[in-house]
Amino acid sequence: MSENLIIGVPSKGRLTEQTGEAFSKVGLHISKTGSERGYHGKISDINNVEVSFISTAEIANSLKTGRIHLGVVGEDLIREEIIGVNDHVKFLKKLDFGHVDVVVAVPDCWIDVWRMRDVEIAAQIYRRHHHRRMSVATKYINLTRQHFMCHGISDYRIVESLGATEDIPMTGKADMIVDETSTGATLKTNNLRILNGNDGVILRSEVNLIASKTVEWTPETRAVENEILSRFGI
Amino acid sequence: MSAETARKFQALEDQAQNILSVFCASDYETVVPSIIQPADLFLDFVGEDLRRRTYVFTDPEGSELCLRPDLTIPTCDLHWQRYGRTSASGRYCYNGPAFRFQPNGDDSYHPREFRQVGIEFFGNAQYEAAETEVLALIIKTLKSVGLQNFKIRIGDIGIFEALLGALDIPTRWRQRLKSQFCRPNAFRAALKEMSSRPSVTFEGVPEDLLRDINELKSRNVEQIIFQYLDRHNIEFIGARSVYEIAQNLTAMIEDLQGEPISVAKRELLESYLNVDAPVRAAGARIRDLMRANGLSLSGALEIYDRRLKNFIASDIDLSRLYFSANFGGRLGYYTGFVFEVHATGLDFNVPIAGGGRYDKLMRVVGANADVPAVGAMIHTERLLRAFEVNQL
Repeated sequence: MSENLIIGVPSKGRLTEQTGEAFSKVGLHISKTGSERGYHGKISDINNVEVSFISTAEIANSLKTGRIHLGVVGEDLIREEIIGVNDHVKFLKKLDFGHVDVVVAVPDCWIDVWRMRDVEIAAQIYRRHHHRRMSVATKYINLTRQHFMCHGISDYRIVESLGATEDIPMTGKADMIVDETSTGATLKTNNLRILNGNDGVILRSEVNLIASKTVEWTPETRAVENEILSRFGI
Repeated sequence: MSAETARKFQALEDQAQNILSVFCASDYETVVPSIIQPADLFLDFVGEDLRRRTYVFTDPEGSELCLRPDLTIPTCDLHWQRYGRTSASGRYCYNGPAFRFQPNGDDSYHPREFRQVGIEFFGNAQYEAAETEVLALIIKTLKSVGLQNFKIRIGDIGIFEALLGALDIPTRWRQRLKSQFCRPNAFRAALKEMSSRPSVTFEGVPEDLLRDINELKSRNVEQIIFQYLDRHNIEFIGARSVYEIAQNLTAMIEDLQGEPISVAKRELLESYLNVDAPVRAAGARIRDLMRANGLSLSGALEIYDRRLKNFIASDIDLSRLYFSANFGGRLGYYTGFVFEVHATGLDFNVPIAGGGRYDKLMRVVGANADVPAVGAMIHTERLLRAFEVNQL
């Protein structure tokens, strides 16, 4: 392990820009070292930092396994990818971008289903009629399990969805979904409705600056971390 | 870690062979189901609680498979493939690895790869006799490999069902309490809700819709639903049928008109679930409770007594046994009698053997009716640990 602090930031899209903006705002300028298409970068004014441009899923995973010290990633991915979150990472600061809600949505025509309790009852009736379990399409497998377990529901099955999830109930491949949404508009066009209140919202997520607890911290990397944190007012 | 060293592996294998030889001597046929199983077989029945602990994977042809999380369902499958009728009886035993993800980490009491040795007894309609045979054989086996100090916790969801049946409460409430029996927190929440006033609310469900259904009882509920959806420009999508929605809404109206569960009834349910005592004392306690509340539960309690008589006739030492009313098995698929064996010196959360009745399980592999089924398995790694712990 080098003496440098490694920070993972999103490698593409809007999140990369927003990360750059959030850091610029506190006087830290991220730039690439070498080619524009490369995956390495630095932060101006701070020595001993390596910026690693990687996918958000990889940021979550690298924080968990301790391959990076700090990471910029959505809370939803952290809570989905890491079992035992508090043992592995520490949330340092909400960065006020990348807002999404992870929600439970059912077909709007289920006029008898508005809360998780209603889902439980609907699932029991469903099983008696169809001789199979009601299915929930999602990419958030762990968050879905936790939420359903918390409400005492086990009469259901998860169907893992890797692409767009919102149109799955329309196509009949699953009965309801757990998915991310920012405005809810796509859900509406797909004839879906979010359950009421806290039953419908599993997590209000945004991008956070996060530290790994599993990485080996040295006095040198701690010093660099403190310097970065002080810029963010932590 | 399981079977990490050759020595440990050999110790487990020797112990398993000793156990198996006792099973075989009692006419249980050895079977060897496949380690890789179709995932559907397990997941459709046992649900997400077990799925999150099952190693599921997709093969190159796209079939969803799993490493078997248990050997009971594969043994049911084997029996059903062989006979294909609910009246067939069979006694089976097995010895082999099973696999479960351990959310709190893999340790010597909770190995993710463990050796399961067990028995299944299908198709015997003499319930208490079959249950006694299985329990007696497990005790005999544990003693034969040298276990001396242990207690056995038994339970019977049948008594709880009989109690629910004897209480004058809406059918749906009964079903809900029964389905939450294995989840104490959800159970308490449901009971609390049912005993407060108003006992149920259906917040969100359109009041005008419920009113229409209630007032126009003569009309077709499904039609009322479709008219409501049309009026609000809601498209009907998905596999859940309007019939199911109608059934649920109709039941909601009945629920709304039902009286909350009285304090006396709630206390009776709670007192019953708190019964946790040596088997004879527990039987007496339950009878007292019922008498004080003007109920008899004669059928379920006769079964309880008959079972104890059978136990005595089979030389089962009743002083080892205690009954916990809230014990329904850790997997939620048991339908009646359940038991687990606790070795002295091991934590309560790591029983070394367990089993019970699961008459609905044969349906998973194709039966169109319940099949009497009792089985049990021994956690061989824990059994070995029990000897190590007690030698220290």
